[in-house]
Amino acid sequence: MSQLTQALIEVEERLNSLLEEVQRLRPYVQSLEEENARLRRELCALPQQETERVIANAQQIQGVAHDNLERLYNEGFHVCHLHFGQPLEGGDCLFCTGFLMRD
Amino acid sequence: MKVNCSKDSLLTGVNTVLKAVSSKNTLPVLQGILVKAEDQHLIFEATDLEMGIRCMVPAHIEKEGVTVLPARIFSDLVRKLPEAPIELELENDILKINYYESNLSLRGFDPDEFPLLPDLNGEETFVLPVDIFKNMIRQTIFACSTEESRPVFTGCLLQIEESNLRVIATDTHRLAYRIAEISNPENCKFQGIIPAKTLNEIYRLLRDDEENLTIRFNEAQILFQFGSVVLLSRLIEGQFPNYKQVIPQSCQTKLFLNTRLFQDSVERASLLARDGNHPNIIKLSVESERLSIDQSSDLGEISEIMNIKKEGNDVNIAFNSKYLLDVLKVIESEEVLVEMSGSYSPGVIRPLDDPNYLYLALPVRTS
Ligand SMILES: [Zn+2]
Repeated sequence: MSQLTQALIEVEERLNSLLEEVQRLRPYVQSLEEENARLRRELCALPQQETERVIANAQQIQGVAHDNLERLYNEGFHVCHLHFGQPLEGGDCLFCTGFLMRD
Repeated sequence: MKVNCSKDSLLTGVNTVLKAVSSKNTLPVLQGILVKAEDQHLIFEATDLEMGIRCMVPAHIEKEGVTVLPARIFSDLVRKLPEAPIELELENDILKINYYESNLSLRGFDPDEFPLLPDLNGEETFVLPVDIFKNMIRQTIFACSTEESRPVFTGCLLQIEESNLRVIATDTHRLAYRIAEISNPENCKFQGIIPAKTLNEIYRLLRDDEENLTIRFNEAQILFQFGSVVLLSRLIEGQFPNYKQVIPQSCQTKLFLNTRLFQDSVERASLLARDGNHPNIIKLSVESERLSIDQSSDLGEISEIMNIKKEGNDVNIAFNSKYLLDVLKVIESEEVLVEMSGSYSPGVIRPLDDPNYLYLALPVRTS
């Protein structure tokens, strides 16, 4: 066998093994694409109405929370993260006031 | 050790380090001042382990040596020494101080027990302009808290960031903020809470004719070097609160006031604000172009009226007079701008001609 023939055989073998590798990967790629499409569908499926309800709920909870914090502060306790729940001593706290006024 | 020096040199050394001597009854050696004769200098050192100060003064050294002397008695004696050539001589652990034909002797502690002051060589270094830094300390330090239970408020936050140097202090009832532009070609970055006690000492020791102050720092300590003094301090551990979120971005009332006239009015009114239930509370009321402070107590009453320039709403508001006086004392500008938003939001005070300083204080809620 000439050297050239030998070289061609080696190239053919390498190409074959690459092809096998590609075939082995194909189902993985396919399942990832399917997963991606499914997640996109789910994301869009949430009706507009539902989204609005969730937002309104969150806002209401926030409002109640804010009122509660304000009450707690007016009763003489820190609501800032520095001293949350500790009694206010020596007057009002800048960080509590800053926090309550921000939202 | 055998040393010849002046009373002045001894006094300078002792007075410089004295505030670092431990006042607590911990290690006896910490209640002493280390005195070391080396290379034609006397070196003085004291530390309470939170802060350490080292100072070098010129002296004629015949024989090198080191001792630690009890601070109280040593400083009292030095103060009372005559203005004459003074000779120090250490034999075993007894220091003899000779002057004229008199002499006295003091028993020292073992210098090997005295803690070493780390010099933070190899740590990051930065040079600060003394005049700017001194003023920054003066305009902020009074807003620090003295309550040891909340350590982060017992110091000033020092920030070096790009070409900005910031010092901020708050006791949670008021906040002082000072920013200055500096040259920072190496882009040094620092952020740390420096104990008020340390800054007070630096302020006291920095002479006005000194131009620069070198700082060196790591995560836990900061070192200040100026003239022949080195001061090492621990940094206060903990997170300084986000001061930006408490600075109001808008206001409903703006007052333009003459600083000294306003200060005098507040001072007079505060003298009569000695009401047992609300000590030092003064009530300001702003109606069109008039600011009035009316105060009455068992002592008598006062009615201060100032004609002012105003923008925005009228307002009635009460402050702890100390919170106003503390800041008015450190503002040099002729006019101050006072910004308020109703009776419950923090009042902001700033010098009219200097955007680099800002102070805010919470009003007092009165019924
Ligand atoms: Zn608070």
